Amino acid sequence: MPVYEHRGQQMSVPDQDLEYTGYFDAAKEGRLVVKKCQGCGLLRGEPGPACPWCPSQEWEWQDVSGKGTIYSYQIVAHTVIPGFKDWAPFAIVLVELDEQSGKPEPGDGLRITANLVDSNMDAEKEENVAIGKRVEVVFQKSEGDFVLPQFKLSGEAPQGPVWSHVT
Amino acid sequence: MGNLKGKYCIVGVGETPFTRGSGRTTRAMGAEAIRHAMDDAGLNSQQVDGILSYHGGDSTPATSIMYDLGIRPNFYMDCSGGGSSTEALVGLAMGAIEAGMCDTVAVYRSMNGYSQIRIGGTGVRAAQPVSGADVMLRPYGLISAVQRFAFTFTRHMMEYGVTSSDLAHIKVAHSNHASNNPKALMKQRVTVDDVLNSRWIIRPCAHLLDCCLETDNATCLIVTTTERAKDLRQRPIQILGVQGRGTKPGGDFHYQHGPITRVAGHYIGPRIFEQAGITHDEVDVTGCYDAFTYTALLQFEDYGWCKKGEGKDYVTSGIINLGGKRPNNTSGGHLCEGYTHGMNMVIENVRQLRGTIDDYCPQAEEGIHTYDYSEGKCRQVKDAETSMNMGWGTPAVGSALILRK
Repeated sequence: MPVYEHRGQQMSVPDQDLEYTGYFDAAKEGRLVVKKCQGCGLLRGEPGPACPWCPSQEWEWQDVSGKGTIYSYQIVAHTVIPGFKDWAPFAIVLVELDEQSGKPEPGDGLRITANLVDSNMDAEKEENVAIGKRVEVVFQKSEGDFVLPQFKLSGEAPQGPVWSHVT
Repeated sequence: MGNLKGKYCIVGVGETPFTRGSGRTTRAMGAEAIRHAMDDAGLNSQQVDGILSYHGGDSTPATSIMYDLGIRPNFYMDCSGGGSSTEALVGLAMGAIEAGMCDTVAVYRSMNGYSQIRIGGTGVRAAQPVSGADVMLRPYGLISAVQRFAFTFTRHMMEYGVTSSDLAHIKVAHSNHASNNPKALMKQRVTVDDVLNSRWIIRPCAHLLDCCLETDNATCLIVTTTERAKDLRQRPIQILGVQGRGTKPGGDFHYQHGPITRVAGHYIGPRIFEQAGITHDEVDVTGCYDAFTYTALLQFEDYGWCKKGEGKDYVTSGIINLGGKRPNNTSGGHLCEGYTHGMNMVIENVRQLRGTIDDYCPQAEEGIHTYDYSEGKCRQVKDAETSMNMGWGTPAVGSALILRK
C-alpha cells in the first residue's frame, strides 16, 4: 500500500483504491489521466466509481492533453498545514481541461484541482494568476517516487475574458 | 407538507455559553443544552422519548447523553453531518413522531469547535495519513472549509462583480446585531474598513473577519406535536415547511457541473415555499447560514430574495439589518454569536417569534422591548410572525426551515 509524502503530509493510496491509484501511477510516467465511462463515453475528473450521467460503473483511465484554462482560483494567504506555511501565498487553481468543455450540459466541464506553479516549481506569482488564462500540465517530483500533476501558465492567448482580483 | 403543515412545532430551546475554552466535555455540554431546552419547554426527562444528534466525529453520541439525563428513548439516532443538519433533523424528528416511533424529540449538537477539533483543519481533521477523495486535494494544500468553497466564491466575484466591501456589509450587520446579544462571543461592532483591514485568509474572497468564529458550544431544540404542545410552558412555534439536506448535481465535486456559482438553495427554495404556502414577502426575519460572509450572499440569491447577481445589492441595502425590512441572523450568527453548525440560528428565530429575545432591554424577561437597535440595546424584531432558516453544508448541500408563531 503506497503511502506518499508531500510537504510533510502523508497520503495513503491503498491498492484497492482504484479510483485514485491510476492517477498517481500515470503521473509517475508523465501522463495526466481522467476517467472515461465505458457506458456513455463521457470523461470525468471526479474521483467516483460511477458515471454521474449514465451511471455505468465500467470505466478506464484515459490520457488527456493536459491543456486547459483557469476556471477559478484561490490564493492561500493563510494555511494551517505546517508544510505549506513557507509556500504561502500560493495559488490553487480549478482548471477546465480542453477536452469536453461545455459538455454534456452548457456550463459543465472537465475540471481538476492543482497548484499553479512557475518553471522552477515554485508558487506562481499572485499577479499572474487569473481566470481565463491558458495553462498546461507539468509534473512535480516530490518525496520518494511521488509525482504530482501541477499546472503552469502556457503563454497561449486566452480564448475568452481574463479576470483577476489584482488590479 | 400536506396535512403535516402546522401539525408539529418547536416547544423548547436551549444552549450552553458560547466560549473559546469550555473546559469540559462535549458530553457535559450536550447534557446541559438538552436540560435547558427541557426546562424551557416545561418537560421532564420522562416526557422526552426521542433524541437526534449530528456530528462530524467531534461530539458525544446520544447513547451516552440520554442516560446521563435519565431519558429512556423510544427512538434515537446519531447522524453524520455538519452545517445544514439542524433543519434536516427537525424534519426527521417530525417523521419519527408521525411514524409512531416516539412523541417528543430533542435535537442536539455539541462541539468543542475551538478547544478540541477545529473546523479550519486541526485535531482529527488534520489526521495523517490522508486517504479517500482528499488525496486529490490535500497535496495541493486544500484542507479547510473556506478553501472547499472558494472556487465558487471567486468565480462568483468574477461573474457578478462582487467586492470585498460588499461582503463586509454582512459582517457589519451581524456584528451590530451581536452587540445587543449578551450571549455573543464577539459583541464588538465592526466597520467595513475593519473587515477589509483584517488579515487575508483566502484571496480574493475571505478576510479573517469574513470567517465565522470557531466556538465551544452545545445547542438543543425540542420538537413535538401541536396537540402535545398545548399544555407546555411556551407558545409553540409551528413548522410550516422543512427541507433538507437538498443538493445540486455533483455533490462534493460539483465543480464538474455548471454553473458553479449556483448553490443548493436553487433547488430547495421553490420546494419549501410551495410546501409552506407562503411568499418571500411574508417572512419577517431570516437565518441565513454565515459560515463565511459569502455563504449568506449566495443563499440570498439562490433562495430568491433577490435576482441572481444582485446579492451584493441585497446585503448592502439595509434590508438585512435590524430595523430593516427583513433582518438576518439577529443573534450575530456564526460570524459573531458563535459557530454551532446552524442550530443557534434556528433557536434565535424561535425566540424572535415568541417575542422573548434575550437582549439588553430592561424588561426583556417580561417580553417588553424598546425596539431601539442602537448598541447595547434591543434586538427583538417587532411583530415577527414568520421566519426562515437557510442552512449551508457546502455550495452543493443545504436545508431550510420555515416557522410561524
